[in-house]
Amino acid sequence: MNFKRILALLKMELLKAIREPAFFFLMLLFPALLTIMFGLVFGDSELGMSMNTIAPGLFAYACIFIIMTVAQSFTEMRDQGLLRRLNTTPMTSADFIASEILSNMIIVVLQVIIIYILAIPFGFTPNTSAVGMVLAFLLMIVFSLSSVGLGLITATVSKSSGTATGLSFIFILPQMFLGTFIPVTATTEVIAMFLPSYHATQALTAIFSGNLTDPLVLTGFTFISIVSIAIVIIGILLFKKSGNK
Amino acid sequence: MSESKTKEYEKPENIINPNNKFSIEVNNLRKVFRAKKGFDDVVAVDDISFKVKSGELFGFLGPNGAGKTTTINILIGLLKSTSGTAIINGYDVKDGLYHIKQLIGVCPQEPSIFKLLTGKENIKLFGALHSMKKVEIEENADKLLKILNLSNAIKRKTKGYSGGMLRQLNMIISLIHDPKIAFLDEPTVGMDPRIRRATWEFIRSLKKKNKTIFLTTHYIEEAEKLCDRVAIIDYGRIIEIGNPNELIKKYMVNNLEDVFMKITGRRIMEGM
Repeated sequence: MNFKRILALLKMELLKAIREPAFFFLMLLFPALLTIMFGLVFGDSELGMSMNTIAPGLFAYACIFIIMTVAQSFTEMRDQGLLRRLNTTPMTSADFIASEILSNMIIVVLQVIIIYILAIPFGFTPNTSAVGMVLAFLLMIVFSLSSVGLGLITATVSKSSGTATGLSFIFILPQMFLGTFIPVTATTEVIAMFLPSYHATQALTAIFSGNLTDPLVLTGFTFISIVSIAIVIIGILLFKKSGNK
Repeated sequence: MSESKTKEYEKPENIINPNNKFSIEVNNLRKVFRAKKGFDDVVAVDDISFKVKSGELFGFLGPNGAGKTTTINILIGLLKSTSGTAIINGYDVKDGLYHIKQLIGVCPQEPSIFKLLTGKENIKLFGALHSMKKVEIEENADKLLKILNLSNAIKRKTKGYSGGMLRQLNMIISLIHDPKIAFLDEPTVGMDPRIRRATWEFIRSLKKKNKTIFLTTHYIEEAEKLCDRVAIIDYGRIIEIGNPNELIKKYMVNNLEDVFMKITGRRIMEGM
């Protein structure tokens, strides 16, 4: 891997993100709106829900949407011949994937900051230390890896950007309904146990409750790390094989 | 453009045949696109062989679908050949692609440019991917932009560029790192006559700098005016190869189009 090349690609990805209105909305404005809406609807403790119970799921929810943006971005670049052109330079697949992961990690960090700041006026009172905050950020960053990997897999099997958007919901919907802020039943929990978003939400809930030694934190980190690394490796292999054709 | 000391991949001991005077050597190259069951395979490139000397401007001429782009895509490593060999500056494309990518510049047929970035940002990105220093990128970009008269638009997002401007930027990006070998795939398609002539001048200036240029085109006039030698390709096979004037004399005709007509009984433009 070449750091200079990764940096150049990272800069390109971020410039694209800032200048693409749809991407900007989905990645930064959407989590903000979501937090405000959920804050207004569920912020009342009389309803039995509070921002403290919803916020961990919101963090995970925003991160899941990276699957769609990564898949769209890759297929668009492929459709426009840009991946082929990049492939004629000394850039390696590792350089490219590394820049993609880094740019999405930066977006995740921004999303977490936006949701965190906006959730506070609606009653979000995280009871955690600086170590807990660092852990929460790390967890989201590792979780974002799985979303980038799933985005790569979606891009590989999609013929066009439109198809990628649709197909990405195969990965988004189960994670959204079975692993974020929607309560799971005994039955759905069996499925949710296999989803990274469920473990991310559980671990974040424990962290924001100030219970850093809760086994959910370690279990969550371990599960998400293993799954994320496996998904990214599968994504890279699939992408190297046929993603830029 | 800056000349640097011998790079690792350019050292003679790392090249298959360092004293070879040829930049490109193609032997019995064949590419078959396998079709799904019930459909016929497509033989896009059918057992072609040719050599391009260092510093030569070599034209690859033929109608649409003749196999020009498939050949170029094999030479730059975007496609794997079914059989045969392709050697670029001493490196086999099958196992020396990383080295080859440092030596070549590729101008694709369709402008492949990041639409949300400015022209300058696109140039900087591709310069950085070739590990160029910022100063080098600036220097080379300024020269190329002046030659192709694109300096005024360079700070605008490329999604507002005209087709001709996109093609010019497409070429600048492919040559920003001052490559030894340039692969130009139909670089002047869609350009108006004024920009096309400016681009011809630019291609000539590359030759003066002793660059090897592999140019695919279906414009007869372009091939005749620019190329030292041309290979005429049809249905994946090279049907004639040589200096344009010599070919015209050999077949006792007026131009390369007539050479093609005399050999195939068709006109190159019929395939457009």
